[in-house]
Amino acid sequence: MDVFTTEHTELSANLVSFCRLLRRHGLAVGVGEQAETLRALEAAGVTNPARFRLVLRTMLAKSVREQKILDGLFDSYWRNAHAAGNDDTAESTLPPIAETPTGPLEVPQNRPIASLTDWVDEAEESGEEGMAAYSAAEVLSRKDFSSFSADEMYQVAGLVNTIAQALATRISRRYRQNTRRGRLDFRGTFRRNLRRGGEIVELIHRNRKLLKLNLVLLIDVSQSMDYYNRFLVQFIFAFQNAYRRIESFVFSTSLHRVTDILKKDNFNDVLEALSDRVPDWSGGTRIGSSLQAFLDRYGDDRLNQKTIVLILSDGWDTGEIERLEDAMRTIQHKAASIIWLNPLSGSAGYEPTCRGMEAALPYVDIFASAHNLESLRALARHLARVQIRRR
Amino acid sequence: MENSELDRIQNQLEKRGYVTDASIVMSVFLSTTLHKPLLLEGPAGVGKTEVAKVMAAAMDTDLIRLQCYEGLDVNTALYEWNYQHQLLHIKLGEQSGKSVAQKETEIFGEAFLLKRPLLAAITHCRPPVLLIDELDRADEEFESFLLEILSDWQVSIPEIGTISATHIPSVVVTSNRTRELSDAVRRRCLYLWIEYPSLEKELAIVRSKVPGIDERLGTQICQFMRRLRELKLGKSPGVAETLDWAMALVALHRTALDLETIEETLGLVCKNRDDIAAIRLKFLPELVDAVTAEAG
Repeated sequence: MDVFTTEHTELSANLVSFCRLLRRHGLAVGVGEQAETLRALEAAGVTNPARFRLVLRTMLAKSVREQKILDGLFDSYWRNAHAAGNDDTAESTLPPIAETPTGPLEVPQNRPIASLTDWVDEAEESGEEGMAAYSAAEVLSRKDFSSFSADEMYQVAGLVNTIAQALATRISRRYRQNTRRGRLDFRGTFRRNLRRGGEIVELIHRNRKLLKLNLVLLIDVSQSMDYYNRFLVQFIFAFQNAYRRIESFVFSTSLHRVTDILKKDNFNDVLEALSDRVPDWSGGTRIGSSLQAFLDRYGDDRLNQKTIVLILSDGWDTGEIERLEDAMRTIQHKAASIIWLNPLSGSAGYEPTCRGMEAALPYVDIFASAHNLESLRALARHLARVQIRRR
Repeated sequence: MENSELDRIQNQLEKRGYVTDASIVMSVFLSTTLHKPLLLEGPAGVGKTEVAKVMAAAMDTDLIRLQCYEGLDVNTALYEWNYQHQLLHIKLGEQSGKSVAQKETEIFGEAFLLKRPLLAAITHCRPPVLLIDELDRADEEFESFLLEILSDWQVSIPEIGTISATHIPSVVVTSNRTRELSDAVRRRCLYLWIEYPSLEKELAIVRSKVPGIDERLGTQICQFMRRLRELKLGKSPGVAETLDWAMALVALHRTALDLETIEETLGLVCKNRDDIAAIRLKFLPELVDAVTAEAG
């Protein structure tokens, strides 16, 4: 038997099977990638497991997250391959692609692949809950965040991500609606006047100009907001991942900048880092002094007429109300617009009667609820409505 | 099947002062062999741009760089007509009696075409290294446009027609992850994440870039930087900061770190007011103790 062909077939079969496994774990590995990886393996020459893994990782993983997944699967895959076939060749973890085969391969031809396929299929089945989650989405959309069970929370996380992404796309496509004439368009002007022999008679302007909004998020993480925080943080995490012009801060008794924390890959890491950074998580609330602290430290850099300030809070302020009023006035003056999202305002018959909310309300451009997914979706509409004041 | 090409790349990179590891070498090798763009991600200041530079040097070719920024458009990235020249040309030829059509063919010739980086790269006289730096800063629209170029390797200019690549450049794309790049871009590229170097690797970089640095000082600097990065500052210092700092300390004739020296030169290491304040207030004495104890 032609040793090389056997070897090559084995390699392809293993690769195909491993790629299938990767696909099951969410990596976009198509036939094209498979073929290219095979070429890469040939080009690089596979002399040891480390290099084999390195080639696969370089070719198939497209982010740090995927690299980690691939590394994890690589180990268990070849351990399985090993257990399935080579009982007596225990010295190598590499499947039958070793570079100098001594005579015909000893490995039973079909067994290892077959049992691996079983294993891959098993791993596959865990992905079937997706459908159920979809039909439940409608119900979840209207349910108050505070009444979710642990199971529902998991599903909601996915929906929250989708909404945040849609929102980011929406605001990044805003165009300035401006009748004023824009920049002179040299190219257009020249083309238009060409037929006059190059004499510039008519000027062409570029009118439509993309306007990118900056967002500053100020999130209340005090005790009274406890029920909502997990969702709001999840939302902000996803939002910030999709839209980069966001600065995020959390506050309860003091203010903490968390923009960098939210840039992590994994939401659990984010939660961990947040609780490290924010010692007074779920403490009392001093909205006024927190907003004041924001203005002192970041107000000049972060606030301008292209910035929307989004405050997520129930407005229960245990500090001095005057400070809150002062801070709100300054923010209104410096920023383009203030949106206040209040989770309580979703409940029927809610009136913003607590003193903090009452004091802040005159300075708020848009006041809306944020108690369920539906209201997060509505946020996109709010953001689209914001008029940028020009001076 | 020992691969001599991998060794050659490694040697070439090291000869040019780039301290490398197996995954970087493999990525550069596969990227040039399979003609796939290489996407580099990692924290700011770990030497992503440097990879492209040494690649160009190692392949003995030119580096063409496209720095991305918000609002980057086709005219800046691909080509633009030299309008001023065209106008002058028409003015000068006013008395020549040529027809409009004749004039038009003249002024839309290659002589009046300003080649921006992308067009320059595909029409270069030999395959260059094309560095698309900080793609995350450009708009999503530009990303899709770039994808088109990277798959077709041709550019169509309405006035001239289609220009096909004379050579396919080696493409290096970098991103600082201020936003996620699209899946389409990721799929097209080979991916390489460059992390802050290990202590040994960073020390090797310092030795190669700041020759003659005191051994103890070098070690202390690298240990200090490693600890700083563990603090999760607003902006962690990169390798560039390490090198700046090392050079400054050598220029100041220091042979070891002490509290006073660090206080004086902290601005070279950290460039963020909040971070500097945090380091001064909370961490500095502890850091100095730890570093001096470790390095002796």
